[in-house]
Amino acid sequence: MQELLNRPKGLHRTVLIVDDELIEREMLGAILCDYYEIIYTDNGESALEIIKREKLTLSLVLLDLHIPKLDGFSLLKIIRSDSELWRIPVIMLTAEKEAEVESLQLGAADFITKPYDAPDVIRARVNHSIELAEDRIIILDTERDALTGLFNKEFFFEYARRMENQNNNMPMDAIVIDVNRFHIINELYGKDYADLILKRIGNSIHDLVTQVGGLACRSNSNCFGIYVPHIENYKVQLPMYISMIEKGLEDTRITIRMGVYLDEGQKIDLEQRFERAALVCRKIGSNYSTCYDVYNTALHTKELHSERLINDMDSALIEKQFKVFYQPKYSIKDNKPVFTSFEALVRWYHPEYGLITPDEFIVLFEDNGLIRQLDRYVWNEAAAQIRKWRDEFGFSIPVSVNVSRVDAFNPKLVETLKNIIENNGINNEDLLLEITESAYADNSQQIINTVVVLRDNGFKIEMDDFGSGYSSLNMLCSLPIDALKLDMKFVKNICNNQKDYRLVGIMTEIARLLEVPVIVEGVETEQQLKLLKEIGCDIIQGYYFSKPLPAEDITELIRKTVQGE
Amino acid sequence: MNKEDFYLRLVNIAINDTKLTELEQQLSNNDLDSAFETAHALKGVYSNLSLTPLTIPISEMVNLLRNKTDTDYSKLLNEEKTQFQFLCNL
Repeated sequence: MQELLNRPKGLHRTVLIVDDELIEREMLGAILCDYYEIIYTDNGESALEIIKREKLTLSLVLLDLHIPKLDGFSLLKIIRSDSELWRIPVIMLTAEKEAEVESLQLGAADFITKPYDAPDVIRARVNHSIELAEDRIIILDTERDALTGLFNKEFFFEYARRMENQNNNMPMDAIVIDVNRFHIINELYGKDYADLILKRIGNSIHDLVTQVGGLACRSNSNCFGIYVPHIENYKVQLPMYISMIEKGLEDTRITIRMGVYLDEGQKIDLEQRFERAALVCRKIGSNYSTCYDVYNTALHTKELHSERLINDMDSALIEKQFKVFYQPKYSIKDNKPVFTSFEALVRWYHPEYGLITPDEFIVLFEDNGLIRQLDRYVWNEAAAQIRKWRDEFGFSIPVSVNVSRVDAFNPKLVETLKNIIENNGINNEDLLLEITESAYADNSQQIINTVVVLRDNGFKIEMDDFGSGYSSLNMLCSLPIDALKLDMKFVKNICNNQKDYRLVGIMTEIARLLEVPVIVEGVETEQQLKLLKEIGCDIIQGYYFSKPLPAEDITELIRKTVQGE
Repeated sequence: MNKEDFYLRLVNIAINDTKLTELEQQLSNNDLDSAFETAHALKGVYSNLSLTPLTIPISEMVNLLRNKTDTDYSKLLNEEKTQFQFLCNL
């Protein structure tokens, strides 16, 4: 295209007339010379020489069929099959009707019949052929990615949409291909090598779509899109596609991954199908054991649901859709269990989805940091409730609250908690803080420092989910904690799994060593309770005694207990 | 050069052309392939110059020669030569 852009405006395009008849050359030249620069020649060999020499400036060849040395059809074939010459349009000059069809079949842009008795028609045909060829060059150069020769994203979608409209609803799958660890290749081996790899992948993808039908594009630096006829058995086909593409990379250790949106009759927009395929491709991400995956509607629905929950959180806090429930913890040291404290557990009453349990939203909020707002909400609610109970019953009942790992690393944590305590007029030891064991494993020294400061300020710390994280025995010994709370999964099978029973025993021993009580949650049956008592656990929490209840129910429970005493 | 001068120059070139003599020779040698090429070229030139009396017999010859028809071409050739001579005498 550069040669087109380089041409000064108004400069005549150059046309080559090839005819061995001087009179015919002259006549044709006379028709065109006011509009074009004309080069003349009378034989095929000299024409080819001129075409090769002037390939960047020649706009059109007018080629007679019967010329010496190299006949018109042979020359046309050479031009059309030459990668440097094929962009130059050729109009055949003929008096023979039969030659017209063959000319067009061999790739001629048009034909002009002799005699030249309609100059205006000849000029119009010449002009039209040049315009078409120039437009085609512009389109070819803009529709393609320069590196790989595949379509660029915009043209790809345009052509895919056209294909979709024309193919009578033939199902087509959307596939997104990414190069694993491409940034590393770029950094380690440089841009030239990375480009070479992309070029090779582009070639393989081109071969693939040529073979199976469809279209391909390079959508961004190391990402490709292909739109191919629907795959019936993707578990067989996709590995085949991958190996076809990776074949071009055999001498490297570079691999690719594929995210696929299978067309199973869903009526969704083309771009959306590719977005979903890209989503799947991103999800495979660093999981090198999988090289492809297909989009799953259920998974997507779940993601949309998660996104909705995240978006709704702010208004839920304002509208107090989160309700704090309380589950009693009972000391089982004596024959008769005695409740010692509560754990504050949050529930979300969503206006549309109804009751949502924490396992649905806590992980989401932990991922994006929103958990800090929720933690504060629960801490405030719990602190206010402790105060209410103290006002009503005349004594404080401690409530444990969860401190997420995000909060555990917050330098203002102590200050925030102290403010809450102060605002509600309760004591630091009334608000027990549960920090999950895995937070300790993430950055043990920092968390230990935080916990030390909290304890120095009078807060009690319970290590939550003990046994599910990766605490080292060494760390445990130096850990400043006030209670160990066992992960509930150990309790679940304690009655029929000897290993779990013994593990609970070992963890209880560790608690003894650390001189802190053991709290066991998730206790649902009498038999579990019996075994835990046997092992020597101190405090029990679970449905066996009580499910988490709203504050008013708990108030009633306390009232009854107090009256019973 | 105006259009008329240009036309007359081309007609003059056609008059001085030796292709008609070549055609006669090729026919007498029964070289029908070469005769076709030559007749075809002449047809193009004469028709482009709108030399209708010359175009009619040569077109007929081209059609016969294209199919390599083994026939007596002398009548058509003589007609062509007569018309050519007539043009030269103008």
